Amino acid sequence: MSTAWHSPTTREEVLRLRAELGEDGTLVAGGTFLGVLMNNGILAPEAMISLAHVEGFERIARDGAELRIGAMVTHRRLEFDADIRALCPMIADTFAVVANPRVRNWATIGGVLADADYASDPPAAMIALDARVVLESASGRREVSVEDLIEDVYQTVIEEDEVLTEVIVPLDQSAARYRKFRTRSHEDRPCVSVAAVQASGGLRVAVGAVAGKPQIFHDICALAKGRAMDSGLAREIGTAYAERIDPITDARGSSAYRKRVIAVEVRRALEDLAA
Amino acid sequence: MKDPRITGRQKYVIDAAVEGMLHGRILRSVYPSARITSIDTSMVPEDVVVLTPQDVAGLHHYGCQIADQTVLPQDQVRFVGDPVLAVAAESVAAAEEALLMIDVEYEELPGVFDAVSATAPDAPLVHDRHKISENDAAYFGIRPVDGTNICHRFRLIQGDIEAGFAGADVIVEETFTTAGAAHVSMEPHAALASWDDGRLKMVTGNQTPFNLRGDLATIFGMKPEDIQVICPPMGGSFGAKTFVRIEGIAAALARKADRPVRIILDRAEEFQTLNRHPSTIRVKIGARSDGALLAKEVHCLADTGAYADCGPGVAQKMGFASPGPYRIPHVRVESNSVYTNLPPNGAYRGYGQMQSIWASERTMDLLAGKLGIDPLELRLKNLLREGDAYCTGEVMHDVAFEECLRDAAAAIGYEPGQPGLGVSVLMKGMQTPSFASIRVRAKPGGRYHIDCATVEMGQGSRKALATMAADLLGCAVGDIDIPAPDTDVSPPDTRTTSSRSTHMMGRALEVAVANLKDSDTGEGFGEIRENGGLDPDTGQGIASSHWHQGAAGARVSVDEETGAVTVEHVHAAVYAGRVVVRKQAELQNEGSMIMGYGTAMFESLDILDGAIGNPNLSDYNVPSIADLPKLTHSLIEREGGDVHGLGETALPPVPAAIGNALQSLGLTLRDLPMTPERVLAAVDEATDRTEDAA
Repeated sequence: MSTAWHSPTTREEVLRLRAELGEDGTLVAGGTFLGVLMNNGILAPEAMISLAHVEGFERIARDGAELRIGAMVTHRRLEFDADIRALCPMIADTFAVVANPRVRNWATIGGVLADADYASDPPAAMIALDARVVLESASGRREVSVEDLIEDVYQTVIEEDEVLTEVIVPLDQSAARYRKFRTRSHEDRPCVSVAAVQASGGLRVAVGAVAGKPQIFHDICALAKGRAMDSGLAREIGTAYAERIDPITDARGSSAYRKRVIAVEVRRALEDLAA
Repeated sequence: MKDPRITGRQKYVIDAAVEGMLHGRILRSVYPSARITSIDTSMVPEDVVVLTPQDVAGLHHYGCQIADQTVLPQDQVRFVGDPVLAVAAESVAAAEEALLMIDVEYEELPGVFDAVSATAPDAPLVHDRHKISENDAAYFGIRPVDGTNICHRFRLIQGDIEAGFAGADVIVEETFTTAGAAHVSMEPHAALASWDDGRLKMVTGNQTPFNLRGDLATIFGMKPEDIQVICPPMGGSFGAKTFVRIEGIAAALARKADRPVRIILDRAEEFQTLNRHPSTIRVKIGARSDGALLAKEVHCLADTGAYADCGPGVAQKMGFASPGPYRIPHVRVESNSVYTNLPPNGAYRGYGQMQSIWASERTMDLLAGKLGIDPLELRLKNLLREGDAYCTGEVMHDVAFEECLRDAAAAIGYEPGQPGLGVSVLMKGMQTPSFASIRVRAKPGGRYHIDCATVEMGQGSRKALATMAADLLGCAVGDIDIPAPDTDVSPPDTRTTSSRSTHMMGRALEVAVANLKDSDTGEGFGEIRENGGLDPDTGQGIASSHWHQGAAGARVSVDEETGAVTVEHVHAAVYAGRVVVRKQAELQNEGSMIMGYGTAMFESLDILDGAIGNPNLSDYNVPSIADLPKLTHSLIEREGGDVHGLGETALPPVPAAIGNALQSLGLTLRDLPMTPERVLAAVDEATDRTEDAA
């Protein structure tokens, strides 16, 4: 079986192809995730639409109090970009711990959010940062928070004719920390990850790799309202997160083990924030 | 001279190609245990050659130690990944497409997925019969237990075990397990088969050219001389490319197609082709209150998977190395190689001895704790020394356990009672009996040509042999040619396994060069033969003509809230006797330690619904450079020492040293790998113990 390969160069062309091909047209960003699926025979697309040559998809720009990151910006660029490091170092810290440099050279921010793999690092970080994605189609444009974007493992609200074109990150955080807890190789995905952000709207804590999608509990985060972060509060929130989450079991750890690690790692992330 | 492996000029087996060659792919069972009820290949295009079980029905059973395998299963599949049939087409893509057009129907049968259940009285049998192989790899008296899944039971008995335990002041008894592991060589299995006038030519990545030739001769009912096996350098093997892997299928496909056929496995298939034996090992050890060891009883179950392969040999070495390098008057060992419905397990760097050293050396620290004696001191008190007899009855010579152990302890700054530090010591057997031969020819211009069957797989044995030859012949290393092994040309050799090539072939080379210098034909021949072997029912005799000796030390710290372990430093001390090529010897140590680290911390083949659940490099982790602790090592030499093999020695002691370092923190780990979850469970166990005591 052969696969049709489309390599559009403009945004309009991408949206037109996406509208035409519908679910038969698989978007390819960095290919690090699709490649694994195809190698394992899980996915055999009829047509692929490469985003590699689309003008404007690789831009990083500050827009007032927000940062706009094009869908095709690679993990490696986010790891090293001077503006990112200056404006929101947690983004760089998160993308720097994904897999290895070979993967980071290709994997993109748009790709990793659209894939919605439960064990990827960036989704939890982006949710804690209250980031939004721009979804465009031939018939319109909408913005969706990353929190609402990801529904479950590999499931998002992206429609068949839509393309994730941009990620928008507010720059109102006073402190932010991403902790990746691994149980195997340094290159592995996390067993538990915690992103904790103190922003103007309050505390946001997202726990990744423990369920179908990153776990954020606004009512528990609200416990921090009007209180200074200290070890007691950190422990309280950590324990509440561990109680609320019903973690999955996979090769990186059992559900019971993850529950214990969540309490510890959430607490530590909050202690880091306070430090 | 630039190393072609660095410049990219090295031709590996996957680069082997001939005109008119077809590409083979294998259809594999999706059930762990099932009867094949029908095969429909009617949809396959005519230009694709299909090899069905029926096509190979007339071929003979084979197996390097037990003849339990056919080129394709005749009626029954025994593991997820068992080849059912194979196709050959003009391209890999066409072959893969043809596989999708084949319909196989199965009737599922009960299966067994670990060695403990497989030895239960009512366990379904994976094989009905155990026919001992005629291959010379079946050299040691194989003892299948009829009516069970045990394909070899090895026993070692010295003294009176009951009397030994009766006299002991302290006894420790504990059960340990180790997980299965994949070799993960960069180059997958690859073979190119062609037939010419009834002669078979097999170009393959394989460490055992003569054993392979023997098994192919058995399969096809041919004379070994009518089969030519050529083994170009491999991109890694670590034991995975031994005996018959895909060569039988490639040869049968090529014969049916009447065209050369090349098969290269993909990564997922690698995980279904040969792995390391998972083990369950029970150890009971007794000592006097002064620390003198009195009795040791070891019971090993080695899960050899669906076909025995060299599993009997692995179980035997697992067993005979399990008493460890100690003087123990009363010893009883039983080690079983057990069939299960998992992919075959076979040779893997360490050859069963990592498993028994893990169990035995962990037990030593538990015993030390119970005796209130420092673990290093307990070892030093009981170590075998020059001239001591091992429990097999053989007298130990060129003994260096104490030097290795002291070196490892010193390197990590070992101090009695200081938490976070652990040591282990090992003895590992070499293939015995064993044979090596080599031919050296003088060529014009002061060059020399060497024919030998030692296979290059990245370990650098050709470089080691060329260096030794240049030294003996008084020429430059660049003046020595050593072409790849070719059974039509190379003099016979047992095989390139067991860390034996530099030791055995190196000495054969000395004889060959002396012979060359004495002769006027311009040709010299040398051979070395080591006799020995053990009685499989008593374990008495000569287990190893030459023991690999080493030790390791580790320094660790633990996050007691999550169980995450930081290994700060690992040191391995390996007895080299005399180093031939220092850089390569160092790389062997480093490579072994890295594999040992992966084994210790996270490498594990997970079994899910009767299949390997993580057959890819995303779900199966091997250590990356970022994982590695500080790794140091010593190559211990002695004036006039023998050249000792060292391709594996630094692997087996690493997990035990790390486990013992954790023991020094009060954490008892029994199972490999030592995942954070298991370490946290050990923290809980220690906390419970403390609370119970309080």
